[in-house]
Amino acid sequence: MTDGLDILVETLITGNLVLIQGLGLYALTRYTKSVKLAAVSGLNTVAGMLVGAAILWLLGDIVPTSPTSELGFYVIVGYVGAVVAPYLTRQEVSREYHVVDTALIGLLLLLSNKGVMGVDNFWVALGASAGYFLVLLTVATIRERLELAPIPNALRGAPIILITAGLLGIALLGFRL
Amino acid sequence: MKVLWEGLFKKNPVLVLAMGLVPAVAITTTALNGLVLGISIAAVLIAASMITFVLEPHLPTTARIPMRVLVIIALVLALYGLILHTNPGLVAGLGVFFPFMAADAFRLQHPEDERTFRQVILEAVGQGLGFIWALLLIGIIREFLGFGAIFGKEILTGVLRPFSLANRVPGGMIIVGLLLALARQLTKQGGEIHD
Repeated sequence: MTDGLDILVETLITGNLVLIQGLGLYALTRYTKSVKLAAVSGLNTVAGMLVGAAILWLLGDIVPTSPTSELGFYVIVGYVGAVVAPYLTRQEVSREYHVVDTALIGLLLLLSNKGVMGVDNFWVALGASAGYFLVLLTVATIRERLELAPIPNALRGAPIILITAGLLGIALLGFRL
Repeated sequence: MKVLWEGLFKKNPVLVLAMGLVPAVAITTTALNGLVLGISIAAVLIAASMITFVLEPHLPTTARIPMRVLVIIALVLALYGLILHTNPGLVAGLGVFFPFMAADAFRLQHPEDERTFRQVILEAVGQGLGFIWALLLIGIIREFLGFGAIFGKEILTGVLRPFSLANRVPGGMIIVGLLLALARQLTKQGGEIHD
């Protein structure tokens, strides 16, 4: 297996952005009310992450070295990616909130944290966004079934989604052993 | 004063509105982390509310959202730099999740123009205090379960084995999910998310 594929598998399963890293929970609780909404949100994030990764690939040599400036650089690249994404996919989840897609910003911050360089940015972005997309679709499908289940009222909505995601995450943790 | 109390309990940003879930689940593994993060978010929220209230009337409608984003990013970076300067170890503990407070602070700001300065500040203070106590509570529970300690002071030494899953993200999701359910039950808000 090549390094690129190693990175892809790690980001898709054992380092899953949502279930293992804990990112993108805002989208997980808001954009999984239907499979269609989850797919649209997931597509936007995939596009945004790839745009962000492309920017980082192109501008990799001029990333500031001071921690605060570096953090600001990554956050701004994240916002640019998030703003551009709906224009690429021609799908908009929320006019106001797409600019603060936490999963996208998280990915870019993780890229900086792991010191990922060059073309590997793309592999990480592809694996992370594919993992994010799959989790969103899976949770949306489970959520549609949960609507019909006899769940106590207090657990409906965000609580049951978080508990379900936690159980899915525990399953993925098994691959790390 | 009603908006202040609403932010604290009835519309608590974390336990009722389900905001700040990323920091709550991914980073609030100890009481200290919860406290620092809660205070940081409160500080950013209050400062951002004051600045945007003053600036927004002078800007065209289309420029307001980008302005709010930039103000919050600038405040988060300033706070990050301050903590990095005073306690680098703390930044290492908070790691890459620190900037996520920017997203939460942004989402909690309302673009309505009709409110007075006092109302805006009271709401930000209430939500900030709501963040602090909720994240502190989550941190205490996770540190107690995961390390058998609270604020680093060991409590369960030799009594019970720590439950290490509480420190992991999946364990955090389950704990936060149960706390949200408890809050919903106590506040009688029902189970749906209040955007």
